[in-house]
Amino acid sequence: MKLLFPMKNLIRSLILFALFSACSSEDTVLVSYENPELELNVPFGFPDFNNSVYTNKPTKYGVALGEKLFHDTKLSTDNSISCASCHIQENAFADHNAKGIGIEGRIGLRNTPPVQNMAFMKVFNWDGNIRVLENQPLVPIITHFEMDSSILEVMGKLEEDPEYIELFNKAFNGEGITADGIYKSIAQFEYTLISANSKYDQVIREAGGTFTETEALGYQVFQDKCISCHSSELFTDQSFRNIGFPLNPDHEEAGRARVTGLAEDFMRFRVPSLRNIAHTAPYGSFGQFETLRAVLDYFDNGVLDVENLDPILKENNNRIPLSEAEKDQLIAFMQTLSDSEFIGK
Amino acid sequence: MKTQTIKNMKKYLLLPAIALAFVSCSDDDVPVANDVTLEFNNTFKGQTIVLGDATSAEATTNTSVEDQVHHFSELKYVISNIILVKEDGTEIPYNVNDLDEGAIVIDQSKEETLEYVLNDIPTDDYTQIIFGLGVRSDLNTLDEVSNPEFYAEAGANDTQMHWEWGTGYRFTKIEGFYDTDNKTLSFHSGSTVEGTVDDESSYIPGFDAYREITLDLPSMAKVGEHSPKIVIEADFDALLSGKTNTILLDDKNATPSVHTSVSMSKYVDNIGGDGTNDVTGMFSISKVEN
Repeated sequence: MKLLFPMKNLIRSLILFALFSACSSEDTVLVSYENPELELNVPFGFPDFNNSVYTNKPTKYGVALGEKLFHDTKLSTDNSISCASCHIQENAFADHNAKGIGIEGRIGLRNTPPVQNMAFMKVFNWDGNIRVLENQPLVPIITHFEMDSSILEVMGKLEEDPEYIELFNKAFNGEGITADGIYKSIAQFEYTLISANSKYDQVIREAGGTFTETEALGYQVFQDKCISCHSSELFTDQSFRNIGFPLNPDHEEAGRARVTGLAEDFMRFRVPSLRNIAHTAPYGSFGQFETLRAVLDYFDNGVLDVENLDPILKENNNRIPLSEAEKDQLIAFMQTLSDSEFIGK
Repeated sequence: MKTQTIKNMKKYLLLPAIALAFVSCSDDDVPVANDVTLEFNNTFKGQTIVLGDATSAEATTNTSVEDQVHHFSELKYVISNIILVKEDGTEIPYNVNDLDEGAIVIDQSKEETLEYVLNDIPTDDYTQIIFGLGVRSDLNTLDEVSNPEFYAEAGANDTQMHWEWGTGYRFTKIEGFYDTDNKTLSFHSGSTVEGTVDDESSYIPGFDAYREITLDLPSMAKVGEHSPKIVIEADFDALLSGKTNTILLDDKNATPSVHTSVSMSKYVDNIGGDGTNDVTGMFSISKVEN
């Protein structure tokens, strides 16, 4: 296990000059902020942190501020929803709706993705429109069918709360409430949401866990038929693929092509992680499938025959053949990826 | 309130500059505004566009090379990065890094947006104008803190020129109808590029719809001596029947879901030029009034 960000009791000092400081040096005020960096570990077998974690290292007050903002309904224009309204801890920071639901019950385009292991991901969201996590918080804040607010509107509300002013100062060297502080602190909080202590982890770390017979068989099937896309300890290779799932009828949807403008990326989506998958139903980019069983049945029956269908499916007659027993085993295995500590139950 | 304060501060900062401008042309003791007015005339083949709903009798219709009749109900685009070029080639950039002071959303339904006045242009004779259709990548971040006025103008409910998921502005928004049965025509352009090409950890390999337009003036704009008006025609016939591409509308390319892929670039190259062989796109200068 690698240790990063060793505890440094960094004392950061900021010298604030009063406006009339030019007249007299006695007006200089010294304010010190003590804000230690948090210790984050790369779990066994995980890839290294992404670059942004190094340039926006989680700190004690940065994370505390981010967590408070994440749960604050002030981020929405009518103060009705927070990030946590859709990113619910017991659902691995996703929810149970087919598509995201914003203020006034407005329905979004896609299924809410879980917020987990973001510190290790190289690319975010279903279509990979974000690579730097700090660029993400603004999107739901301003999107019409999400929070429908604006960053100045949010900052205006926060400025009325002395607790926030204090927390921003502690987190960011007395800089006060800034847009960057909002983006950075939310990202810092999200970097600490690491799920790596499921039964599966305990088995492979030989930390006291053992698979049942069904789970062990499911792990075998997984390695035979799933692992080429759901690879690594993140259980996704973070690639974009069109796997012939039923199409979202919304005219805005084009999958990865919405970002790249390339025909070959039409309806390609990022391979989702399977961690905590038992707690994030429904499944698919717009919640096409109610259950894991339904997803497996669909693969078994055959997917849509589309031009840019993933080669692995094309080579296998557009399907992943699975017996009913194998489906049971796979589901049992996927349930071992649930991290009860992470989801808080 | 805050916005107002910032705006006032800017005005105060401008004062010395204005004073200087007055000093520099005090020979004839007649203060001139050193304004240049840009007038945008949105047309179909020279005929100013009248917007209208699906069944509108007043709306201006156009027929494409592919013989498809079409008309618009909504027509908006962003102009930024304006540069006036002197006879000797010197470029005078106009607030090119400040969207609040240097960019505008042209909206055919709002007459006041069809004229844009550039202030405090140095006294000289100008022979060329350069401007951007859309917003340069480095400014295209929906940064409300830096550009609150342009952000608000572009994001207004009746304007809708924010492209939230791409954290950028919509560069063009056209809604309309085509064929005799008035099928929906909807064209939105914008940029999804983000990060640095060399830095894989930040780079989003998107499509950049920003286009720089360069137009020679048919006669010199004499600033200082006069307050010239430059009349710019944007001929939207080019959308479907451009110099680069001829587009036949069908259910696969007439709405945003599919035009986000390959076809968006075809529309963009038609109206904004391809940036290499065509640097004028649909734009031309009708006249310069001194």
